[in-house]
Amino acid sequence: MITYLDVIKRIHTGRICSERDFDLRVFAPKLKEVLKAHDIRYDPVNPVPDDDGLADDVWSAAMDFYCDVGTYCLDTERIVQFDENEIAQTLKTAPREFTFGDGKQRKALTQRRPEDGTPPWCFLGAGGAAVSSEENLLRLVQGYASIPVINSLTSPALTTVEGMRIVAGSPLEIYGAIRAIGLARQALTRAGKPGLPIMNCISTASSAIATIAASQPQFGLRPSDGWLCGTLAEMKVDYGVLSKGAYLLSWGANVCSETAPVLGGYAGGPEGTALVNAAYNILGTVIQKASYQLSFPIHFNFQSNTARSTLWAISLSGQGIARNASLPVFMLGYTASGPMTEMVLYETAAWVIAAVASGTHIEAEGVCKATHVDHFTPMEPGFAAEVAYAATGIKRSCANELVKTLLSKYEDKIKDAPIGKRFGECYDMTTGKPSEDYLRLYSKIKKELEDLGLEFKY
Amino acid sequence: MVEDLPQKQDILDGLRRGVISGDEEVVKLATQEGIDSGIDPIEIVERGLIPGITEVGANFERMEAYLTDMMMSADAMKAGMSIVLTKIPREKIRRQGTVVLGTVKGDIHEIGKNILGALLTAAGFDVIDLGCDVPASVFAEKAEEAGAIIIGASALMTTTLPGQKDIVDYLNSTGRRGKYSLLVGGGPTNAQWAKEIGADAYAETATEGVKLALREFEKRRKQTA
Repeated sequence: MITYLDVIKRIHTGRICSERDFDLRVFAPKLKEVLKAHDIRYDPVNPVPDDDGLADDVWSAAMDFYCDVGTYCLDTERIVQFDENEIAQTLKTAPREFTFGDGKQRKALTQRRPEDGTPPWCFLGAGGAAVSSEENLLRLVQGYASIPVINSLTSPALTTVEGMRIVAGSPLEIYGAIRAIGLARQALTRAGKPGLPIMNCISTASSAIATIAASQPQFGLRPSDGWLCGTLAEMKVDYGVLSKGAYLLSWGANVCSETAPVLGGYAGGPEGTALVNAAYNILGTVIQKASYQLSFPIHFNFQSNTARSTLWAISLSGQGIARNASLPVFMLGYTASGPMTEMVLYETAAWVIAAVASGTHIEAEGVCKATHVDHFTPMEPGFAAEVAYAATGIKRSCANELVKTLLSKYEDKIKDAPIGKRFGECYDMTTGKPSEDYLRLYSKIKKELEDLGLEFKY
Repeated sequence: MVEDLPQKQDILDGLRRGVISGDEEVVKLATQEGIDSGIDPIEIVERGLIPGITEVGANFERMEAYLTDMMMSADAMKAGMSIVLTKIPREKIRRQGTVVLGTVKGDIHEIGKNILGALLTAAGFDVIDLGCDVPASVFAEKAEEAGAIIIGASALMTTTLPGQKDIVDYLNSTGRRGKYSLLVGGGPTNAQWAKEIGADAYAETATEGVKLALREFEKRRKQTA
């Protein structure tokens, strides 16, 4: 079995090569070769494929690809590689169950299967999007925690401390990270769910130093929370992400392997994106010793992942991972449109149905590409959770038809999607309740989904 | 001089195909063959290399080619250009100007910037890629050194956005703001932010970035005409 120290050793002893050569002479040709050898082809007609053989092919292609390509370390310019037997043994002996949260909110996470009758883990909140004020962060997190089926929180990120804009790598990042954690924990306590795990620790920190500083237990985090340790596109790590891992694993904390293959980037088209996403799951276990993979394949031109091609990549890679891997996978949706629009609810329903029927858990969600400050509310993840429970256990063929219908409602609007309204325009900031207009819209779209055959559980 | 038109066309087609397939060796050989056969070097560029890279750019826009295709084609084109440029005065080559490109200080996300770089090359710009984690002063000094007209700065995190403003501040403090068009982009960037910091333009996608770069280039060309 490959240990974390084995990985650290190999980032200093592996084959040395420039990043450009890794991208163009190692990664790209092998990806093309493996896709061809396994005959994996994008099928735009069916965004949710229904073929176990294809799903297993993607996994087996990802294994071939990963064994050959390995992981590139930016700081040492070396490729970390292990042989197929070492990787296979590590995957076989890796843990299959991971525990998060405290008290009444403590819960075990395991892999689902395609068409699984067990509801997905609902990891709900802002997907790390930025809020303008501490007051908004508190109100939002209370709203997220009030979603009945929430299993863990994805907290928003602060952009300022005492009116000063947070700058990466500066002392302000440490102050911001500590403050954001304190506020999120305070809001969870107010909502009566103090033990709910925060699984995107620490959204306000990007550097290892800020992450480690704000992870000191006196600021509110526990090993039973989960930390995002982001890989870099594609199949790359650096000292920062590995240093976070060294600290967290020594503490017994849950590491999240955060992966975001870019459709249109090095991963190529939908086929390559699906394959690379599956390969990242292997990297998560072998290199990062992660407790979960959080993945968001993203469309380069749209900066969201609700287009047909990205849904196909999400679905196929999700099925391949769910059927073959031990490391549980979450798919994180990024919508193009913003709050209080019909489109955001159609987009949400589409990606959630595709992911849940394919066997993944969900993180909901990055609204409006998570690029507009305050353009998200608890209504969108709340809707995602309702759809996720309704889609639990449905056949992939049924999911495919639903997703096709939903795509027809928004597909041509993705490029110029409406940004919708700000949190403060959608909610009463005194009572913390959504506006009547948004509630009416929510009910209208929910009824449309019921008419399409989706049976809501609550 | 090549009088035999089919042979000349074959060489130019071979160049175009070599660029499209991103094969540096093929492009080098075909460029040399073209020169040895007496084809006007400007024709080698304008009817061989440029049509090849333009086609890859169009394929990228239609999502029929991807980043690695673009990068390999850009490398192949550069390999051909490095041979042909020794044969003709640089000012005779139709180029758009120089762009200095990078990801701001504290940020190591490169993919969007790399795509923009490849597309700008395809559009006829000379691109100087400074990589990632680039301080504001380096953007400004490299732009000065290279005689660039456009600076492109990418930021992928809300906490690295201030790095784009730092470039504006640095250029202002050194009295050089007016010399360059500053284009900003990246996940958390938007038009409002670009306006707030005093950037010239915001591009949501790499394709938009190229259009804006062409617009800025044209604007500056008219100003200096």
